[in-house]
Amino acid sequence: MTKISARNIYKNYGAVEALRGVSLDVAEGEIHAVCGDNGAGKSTLIKILAGVEQPDQGELLVDGAARRFDSPTAALKAGLATIHQDLAVAPDMAIYQNIFMGAELTRSVLGLRLLDKARMRRESLGYMGQLNDSITDMNAKVNALSGGQRQAVAICRALRWNANVVILDEPTAALGVRETEQVLQLVRSLKRAGKTVILISHAMKDVAALADRVTILRTGENQITLDGGDLTADNLAHYILSGEVNRVH
Amino acid sequence: MTLKKIVETYGTFLAGIVLFLFLIAFAPNFASTANLLNVLKQVSFLSILAFGFTFALISSELDLSFANVCSLSAVVIGFLISTEVAWPLAIVAGLATGIAAGLLNGFLVTVLKVPSLISTLGTASVANGLAFMITGGVAFVGRWDPDFLYLGRGKIGPVPVIILFTLAIFAVALVLSTQTRTGVHIQATGENEEAARRSGINTRGCKVLALTLSGLAAGLTAVFLVANLSSAAPQMAGDFMLNGIAATLLGMTMFTPAKANILGSFVGALIIVMLSNGLVLLGAQYYIQDIMLGIIIIASVAVSASVLKRAAFAL
Ligand SMILES: Nc1ncnc2c1ncn2[C@@H]1O[C@H](COP(=O)(O)OP(=O)(O)OP(=O)(O)O)[C@@H](O)[C@H]1O
Ligand SMILES: [Mg+2]
Repeated sequence: MTKISARNIYKNYGAVEALRGVSLDVAEGEIHAVCGDNGAGKSTLIKILAGVEQPDQGELLVDGAARRFDSPTAALKAGLATIHQDLAVAPDMAIYQNIFMGAELTRSVLGLRLLDKARMRRESLGYMGQLNDSITDMNAKVNALSGGQRQAVAICRALRWNANVVILDEPTAALGVRETEQVLQLVRSLKRAGKTVILISHAMKDVAALADRVTILRTGENQITLDGGDLTADNLAHYILSGEVNRVH
Repeated sequence: MTLKKIVETYGTFLAGIVLFLFLIAFAPNFASTANLLNVLKQVSFLSILAFGFTFALISSELDLSFANVCSLSAVVIGFLISTEVAWPLAIVAGLATGIAAGLLNGFLVTVLKVPSLISTLGTASVANGLAFMITGGVAFVGRWDPDFLYLGRGKIGPVPVIILFTLAIFAVALVLSTQTRTGVHIQATGENEEAARRSGINTRGCKVLALTLSGLAAGLTAVFLVANLSSAAPQMAGDFMLNGIAATLLGMTMFTPAKANILGSFVGALIIVMLSNGLVLLGAQYYIQDIMLGIIIIASVAVSASVLKRAAFAL
């Protein structure tokens, strides 16, 4: 079943045509990678799926029903959680506050709904432990963390929404070997849990190893979609470098 | 905790205690019950205004209109009471005036995208003009309903009710800012608006709310001021402008360094009123206060900025 379908999406930034009729079909429960050179329009497509930007033209369907995400809130409510390339953390706030931003846990005290900070710290530790067990103080501010550790915080924030669709825009870009492996494991475990994953990455080997299908974009248009036996690291590199739109067999 | 961190977090607070002890020792009459209650009364007016300014700052916006809005609310209350409108209705109108000014500021900042430094300055001028328009330049003075005046002059035992009201407002502001989702949403909006927006937070709503709380604080202060003085004049809260800003900025050097916070603003208001009061008792010239306020404002921001810089270098 098609979980998400973006059809014929156009998006201009002033004179820049970032997307020129891009389509993307993501099946329920699959890991769908989106590849392409720098500036191909990957992040723009993701921002539209996340409600951060609105398309100039084109249709968005979730579970077969037409949707329009006017805000990030709308996308989150529809079950799509996104880790953006620029992370968008609040550096001067605590790790647990970043992880639970917008979805803070509360408890009832004398009839008032007050923040349950202890529980948020505890659960944050659980989320962070899946990705990076070197950080234990959830009160630490994010600006005291390394680039990779911040990425872990951003990923945890998306996990905490418990969304059906998790979108990751270059989640391993700042990561070392061990942390990268942990994120890849996490992507696999999301799939095992029945979630749909959209993954953007420039690491062809990782994409080939993880993805069920890959959509390659080129200068704001669809170039080709690969799956099955065609989906190899060599093939991916070949198409991205050559710009060919037909399959070589 | 390292010594450096203790100084950073509690330094100003400890300095406030030293100041308190110094004034007890050297300022004639400072420690008399009457004077201390008078200090606390002044703190009441100032701190409520500072709480409002604090919420605006937490959301990363300025509100330079709160003092003039407070005067306008006061004049509205005075006008209605002196035209024989029931005082509870006058209070509602005064609070509504503050809220309306806050909503206007919120609208200007979030919808018209006028930077708050400019938009609230504009609102301040409009409020000032309206206050003079309503009064015709004079003050409303009258022999008003004792039930109304009780709000500003009444006592429970030896304690003025105004101090009790202030403590209640302080508690509500403290809990709202540090213990509720709304509070952290305002904070997240101020820290990184785009991150907050992408996390599903209504960032525009948070800014409007923060500025409206500042307007409400101005309205509340107006109620207590008018009830305390039994009069209302178009510039009656003018002095609170710099004092309120100074209290809040001084508060930023305490407890959560470089961040506006309600507890800090409360202690900041205490220190500033103590200083003003102490200077008078020590026989200092009236202009010393203005010089002192200016120094406090600049020094507080310099200290906060250096803490921020240090945090940035830790990257
Ligand atoms: N906010 C913006 N304003 C103007 N132009 C933009 C904006 N965002 C993206 N663009 C342009 O749109 C095009 C697509 O950018 P996008 O970020 O989607 O590419 P990408 O495929 O994610 O690249 P990368 O691999 O470098 O992350 C680029 O030409 C970029 O310069
Ligand atoms: Mg990108």
